[in-house]
Amino acid sequence: MIELGHCQSRGDGRRFCRSHVYTGVVSDPGGLTMLGVFTMRGGHLPENPMLQSLHNLRKHLLTGVSFAIPFIACGGILIAAATALAPKTGGVADFTHAPKLKLISDVGAASFTLMLPVLAGYIAYSIAGKPGLVPGFVGGFFSGQVNAGYLGAILAGLLSGYLVQLIKTLPVSKHVRPIMPILIIPAVSSGVIGILMLKVVGSPIAHMMSIASAALRGLSTGNAVILAMVLGAMIAFDMGGPINKTAFFFGAAMIREGDYRIMGACAAAICTPPLGMGLATLLRRTIWSQEEQEAGVAGLAMGLTGITEGAIPFAAADPLRVIPCIILGSMTASVIAMLGGVGDHAPHGGPIVLPVVDRRIVYLAAIIVGTIVTALSINLLKTWSQKPARDMERVA
Amino acid sequence: MKIVAVTACPTGIAHTYMAAEQLEKTAKALGHEIKVETQGAMGIENELEENEIRQAQVAIFAVDIEIEKRERFRQLKVIQVPVQEAIKNPKSVFLRLQA
Repeated sequence: MIELGHCQSRGDGRRFCRSHVYTGVVSDPGGLTMLGVFTMRGGHLPENPMLQSLHNLRKHLLTGVSFAIPFIACGGILIAAATALAPKTGGVADFTHAPKLKLISDVGAASFTLMLPVLAGYIAYSIAGKPGLVPGFVGGFFSGQVNAGYLGAILAGLLSGYLVQLIKTLPVSKHVRPIMPILIIPAVSSGVIGILMLKVVGSPIAHMMSIASAALRGLSTGNAVILAMVLGAMIAFDMGGPINKTAFFFGAAMIREGDYRIMGACAAAICTPPLGMGLATLLRRTIWSQEEQEAGVAGLAMGLTGITEGAIPFAAADPLRVIPCIILGSMTASVIAMLGGVGDHAPHGGPIVLPVVDRRIVYLAAIIVGTIVTALSINLLKTWSQKPARDMERVA
Repeated sequence: MKIVAVTACPTGIAHTYMAAEQLEKTAKALGHEIKVETQGAMGIENELEENEIRQAQVAIFAVDIEIEKRERFRQLKVIQVPVQEAIKNPKSVFLRLQA
């Protein structure tokens, strides 16, 4: 909806697809749905001060997330690679006789350790500029130390940013002003944030995180299916917009917490919209225009590299029929992946992440079935409703 | 009109460049001279030179995140819009220049 409301002509969309088949991280990460929905309306910056501050909050969170995602990618991929290659003792990777693999795994672990300080630091940087970095990094570091995870890091980043912003506005004599940014602000703000994280807010959040991950681990089959359906629907719904980002960053953040299934379900759902639309154009050429067929080929390439945006040209042209079909396909794929115990160690989706996926056969099956469901349902819908649509054109 | 622009989205692999392309194309169609700097996952590309910023009459930021080196634009009138607007409706971005 938000992303698709008033897109330019389909030709434009198609051209974009072609020139932007990069490999890389799929759909934009992070952001909170509520904030996203509030602030994306019509693309205009909200005038209302409440909405304006929500919009700013979203911008700060996304800035932090954009710096943190590559750290998750590095950690997830290196640890997964080392674990996969290491000899197994009792089904668990054993590094005692594989020092080189241990080294690779340690590098990945270092990247994971740094992800929280980077997330918190750049949230604070977005709010308060350079002076926000130090308390943000320190707060994020402690969030890792007390196991408060990414929630703790987000909180540390926000607190740091607003605290520094506050200190900056304090009236100080002009003799003190030069040493504010280099001595006073780093020391005072980091002291306050560090103590807050260690002694006050850290452990309640750590407690919340452990309850949440215990709940995730103990999910009954029924609840797992519901979770997978919600994730799949969110991924497909706006193809890279704020709702997609929320599900994606939840999956990516859980990689660091050691739960790969959330990202596994997301990864399967991420690629079926463009793959499904591409397959649909191949299956029944007669109901798709020349332009759409070309967009379909681009969609296949984007689907294989895990870029949900490949379905946007189709959804922009015909949202009422396309969006329900890609949601159905993505939900199918994520449910199969979740039930089959697919785990994804990289914050990215589609067949391209296959080397770092657990249970590859199930993963591929989830993608294939989701793709076929998408393609068949859109072709059916299009065939059924084509005649009335043509009649209307004639009347018009 | 001489315009400088910066685009930046959170992931920095697709929308950043789509917005840049739309701004360039629309500016050309409207007879403006524009240079667009992208701040994507690869960092700053097509970086704006100091004299280009000095000569420009206005800056367009199509950004969803805080940009790098914002201080360069201190002297310049800045129009800030969400990345989506530059992609979906670039003409409306340029309409704001007149306002």
